[in-house]
Parts: sequence; structure tokens; C-alpha cells
Amino acid sequence: MRTKLLTWILWGLVIILLFFLPKLVNLYYLSLFLGFVIYSLYAVTLNLLLGYMGVLSFGHAMFFGTGAYTVALLLKHIQGIPLLPTILLGGLAAGLLAVILSPLLVRVSGTAFAMLTLAFSQLIFVAALKFREVTGGEDGIGLASLPPLKLLGLFSVDMNDKINFYYFAIIFVALCLFLLWFYTKTPFGSLIVGVRDNALRMDYLGFNLSHIRAINLIVSGTFAGLAGATHGMLMKLVSTVGVLDIGTCFKPLMMAYIGGVGSFFGPILGSGILHILEDVVIRFTDRIGLVNGTIFVLVVLFAPQGLIGLFNTVKAKWFQKEKVS
Amino acid sequence: MSPTTVLYVAQALHGLAYGMLLFLIASGLTLIFGMMGILNIAHASFAMLAAYFCFTALKLTGNFWAALVIAPVIAGFVGVLTERFLLRPVHKHGHLAELLITVGIMTLILELVKYFWGTESLVVKIPQSLSGLVKVAGLTYPVYRLFVIGISVLILGFMALILFKTRLGKIVQAAVSDTEMVSALGINTPMVFMLVFGIGIWLAGVAGAVAGPLLTVFPGMADQLGMDAFVVVVVGGFGSLLGAFIVALFLGELNAYGIQFIPRLAPVLMFAFMALVLAFKPMGLFGERE
Repeated sequence: MRTKLLTWILWGLVIILLFFLPKLVNLYYLSLFLGFVIYSLYAVTLNLLLGYMGVLSFGHAMFFGTGAYTVALLLKHIQGIPLLPTILLGGLAAGLLAVILSPLLVRVSGTAFAMLTLAFSQLIFVAALKFREVTGGEDGIGLASLPPLKLLGLFSVDMNDKINFYYFAIIFVALCLFLLWFYTKTPFGSLIVGVRDNALRMDYLGFNLSHIRAINLIVSGTFAGLAGATHGMLMKLVSTVGVLDIGTCFKPLMMAYIGGVGSFFGPILGSGILHILEDVVIRFTDRIGLVNGTIFVLVVLFAPQGLIGLFNTVKAKWFQKEKVS
Repeated sequence: MSPTTVLYVAQALHGLAYGMLLFLIASGLTLIFGMMGILNIAHASFAMLAAYFCFTALKLTGNFWAALVIAPVIAGFVGVLTERFLLRPVHKHGHLAELLITVGIMTLILELVKYFWGTESLVVKIPQSLSGLVKVAGLTYPVYRLFVIGISVLILGFMALILFKTRLGKIVQAAVSDTEMVSALGINTPMVFMLVFGIGIWLAGVAGAVAGPLLTVFPGMADQLGMDAFVVVVVGGFGSLLGAFIVALFLGELNAYGIQFIPRLAPVLMFAFMALVLAFKPMGLFGERE
């Protein structure tokens, strides 16, 4: 009972902090914070596949990038399109990509899955780079201004204001994260873990493995697309190097792995660590990749369950010692 | 020969040169995958590392031939150390961890290369004896590209002899098909793994060092070579040498003619070809095992 109350108080504090954050920090940190929040969602969607289903999506950027490009193209070509449908269409487009790829991807697992996803993400990356008339190639598409957010036709909020956009993005991403958290707690979420742990048994129990895999893939892709769509709006620029390249594929992977793939909140922790690191390291040296890479290698070598896993192991050890003595 | 034929032949030779380089890289990649089950994402990074070693060795010794021999050997040695101290410890955590650590190694190599050599393109000068042009039946062709084809064929022939005619080759072939059985027969498989990994990296290193003067040496080299070699291994079939050979040559030609006739679509064509193959055969053209 006490711990439950404590959890609620903690969440309340987090919400109050999020509400007053624009008053506390300047726009640079606000933008950095939003980057962290959006990448958290992105890394969590990757973890739906990596942690919950046990397959590594090496080309997750194809969903992220599809979401971002859809938003950019919609805003560029359709005058006066409202904000919410734009973002949701971004997610839908990424989900559609997942639907198209799912017949192929559910047939394989392990290394083959990783390679296939990488292959398709590269296909999309190269295509986006080469079809300059549509995508703007390396320069990408700039978003001059965002449409206002209209809720129920009652009021409209100017989204070009950074602070308004902050509140919108935080609420939107928090909602997505909550939905995903809920999704993992549903009976279907347990089925996914079952497929990971003992696919043969799940098969004998009469479940259709391909359907379970496909649905999870589509959910993961859709929410990655939503993350990409929000990211595009935050950056006001969608270019291949920012949302589709191999670095964008690896980043959420590092986050998920450093934080811990065994837990829902691990990728969020990882995203936080990498974003803080980026801000701190950049003051001393611009070799951020070297620092990130070293940490990643060390985590894979010594803490394969990530920092949350490491924390749990250490906690279990100390707890046991207390009991014994 | 008429000018058009000359053009076609020249492009075919270009394609052959690039295809052979790709196969040098992809053969190591596919052998390592077949034996250890690791798809070494950092494979082309080692090729790039060898190209940089070659550049520095050339600067220090002033002798292209010495640099060409030294650089891949050092790269191979780095590869052996990597296998021993980074890959082997994570082996117990499964294939995903092994795959991920190669991603980490790729990042580290890229960053270290940028740190030591900077981000500009470096030009490797080829010696006088290789820099000329040859004229055969109206076709003018750079000697260096012929040299690339020659050295690739030489090394691959040599490797094929080792693989198919020696005891070591038999062990490697056996380990590709059933590692546990080989190790049960009393063969030190971790040692064989280390050796094969080193040789695979050495092959990639040769390709990287030789490719240096063709592509110039720059930090994006690993991405370019790596992606192409990756397509070769995926399309050819995981762990299949024959598949890798056929697809490497095919991709080399596709690249050469693609750049000639549809320059914008050539890279897209390559990946579209891969998507097409995978849609029907997820394990690649000649692959059988998962």
C-alpha cells in the first residue's frame, strides 16, 4: 500500500515538473528534452520487437522516417491540413509499411530478421536520397510553419510557439507511451512474450504465431512512425540523414540496450542517458560517437541486461547479503 | 572494335574489378557467418581500416608494394584481437549480443579513424608501374584496374586451394556445417574461429587496401563497401561462398552498367533487386540454413 502511494506521489511530481519545465529551463534545453521524450517513444517501439518478441529490428528508421516524411509531404502539399490528422497519418503510413513487409518478416527470426529489416530500410533510404523531386534528397524538406491545433472546433492553439508545441508533444508522446505500456500488459502482450520464450509450445497451444508476430510488428511500426512524425515537427526539417540513415537505425538500439531490453522503461532510461551524455560530452569534446560507442560496447560486454538489469542484479545481491547476516 | 563495343567492354571490366573487390570482402563475411553465426557488421570497417593503414604505411615506407602487404596483415591482427577480447566473451549471451557488439565495433572504428586521420578524403598514390594505360584492340584501359582484377583472382584462387585441398580447409568446411560435431572430435574450434575471423578480416583488408587508390580513402568508405558486401551476402545466401561469388560479380556489373545508363537509379536498383530476391527466397539465392 505504501509503495503504491509512493508511486502515485512520484508520478504526480513528474507531471508537475513537466508542467513547469518551460518556466525552469531555456528553449535549448526544452528542445533537448523533447528530443529525449520522442526518442524514448522510438526506442520503446524498438524494444517491443527486441525485448518482448526477441527479434532485432536493424532498420527501425524506415518506420521513423516514413512517419516523418509523410508529415513533411502532407504539410508541404496540402494547404490548411489540420495538425492531429497529419501526425496520425504519419503513424498510419508507417503502419502500412509494416503491413506490407509483415508477410516477409514474420517468416524469419534471429539474424535473418535483423538483416531483412536493415535491407529494407536501406532500400527506402537510398530511394529517398535519389528521388529528389519528391523528397528533396540530402537537403530534405523544411517545414516553414505548423498548422494550429484545433480541438473540437472550440479553440485553436498556435503550434509555432515553442512552448505550446512542447505541451502538445509531451501530452501526445505520453499518451502513446501509456498506450504501449497498456498494450504490453494485455493478454496479447503476454502472447508476444510467449512467442519469444517458447514458440513451439505456443504453436501447440493453437495460437497463430505469424498473426501475433505481424500484429506486434505493425503496432511497433505505427508508433515508431508517430515518433518520427513528432520528431519531424520538432526539428521542422525532414532529411534523409536525420530520420532514415543507418545512424537513426542504431540510435534507439543503443538506447534500448544501454537502458535494458528486459524492461518497458529501460529504453526510456537509455534515451535519457544518451541525451544527457550528448549535452555533457559536447562541452569537452565533439567525439560524441566515441563515447557512445565505448559505453555501448562495455554494456554489451558486461551488462547484457542493460543498466536496469545491472541495477536489479546488484540489488538482489545486496538484499540477499542482508538476509544472510 | 567500334566505340560502342569498347564502351561496353570497358564497363564490363569496371564491373568485374568492383565485383572482385566485393567478393574479397563478402567471402570473409560469409565464411565467418557460416562458421560462427555472426554477421559481422564491422567487416567493411576493417577494410576501411586497412585502407588507412595502407595510406600511412605508404607515407612511412614510400613503397606501395610493402604497404599493400603490411596493411591487411595489421588489420587481420586487429581482427584476431577483436575476436579474442570482444566477440568471444559475448558468445555466451547469444547471437543478438554478438551482432550488437559488431555494431559497437563499427562505431568505434569509424570514430577512431576520424580521430587519427581526419574526415577528408586521402589520396593513395599508385606507383608508376601501375598507373599507366594499356591499349588492346582499340580499348584503352587503366592498368591499375587490371591489377585489381589480377590480384583478386590470385588471392581467391589461393584461398580456394587452402579451403578445398588442405586439412585446415576441411576443418573449416566441417565447422561451417556442424560446429559442435567438429569440436566433439577434439578440434580446438575457438582457435579455428579466431583464425578464420583473422583471415576473413585479412581478405577484407586486402580489398580495402587495393580499393584505396580507386575510391580514395575516406570515413564513408566502410558504409559504401559494407552496404554492397552486405547485399551480396544477403542475396547470395547466408554462408554460401558460391552464392556470394555469383552475386558479387552480378552486382559489380549491375553497378557499372547502371552508373553508365541510369546513374540516378543504380543504387536503388541494387536494393530493389535484393528486395525482389528476398520476397521469394528469404534465405537468399543459395542459402539453406537459418
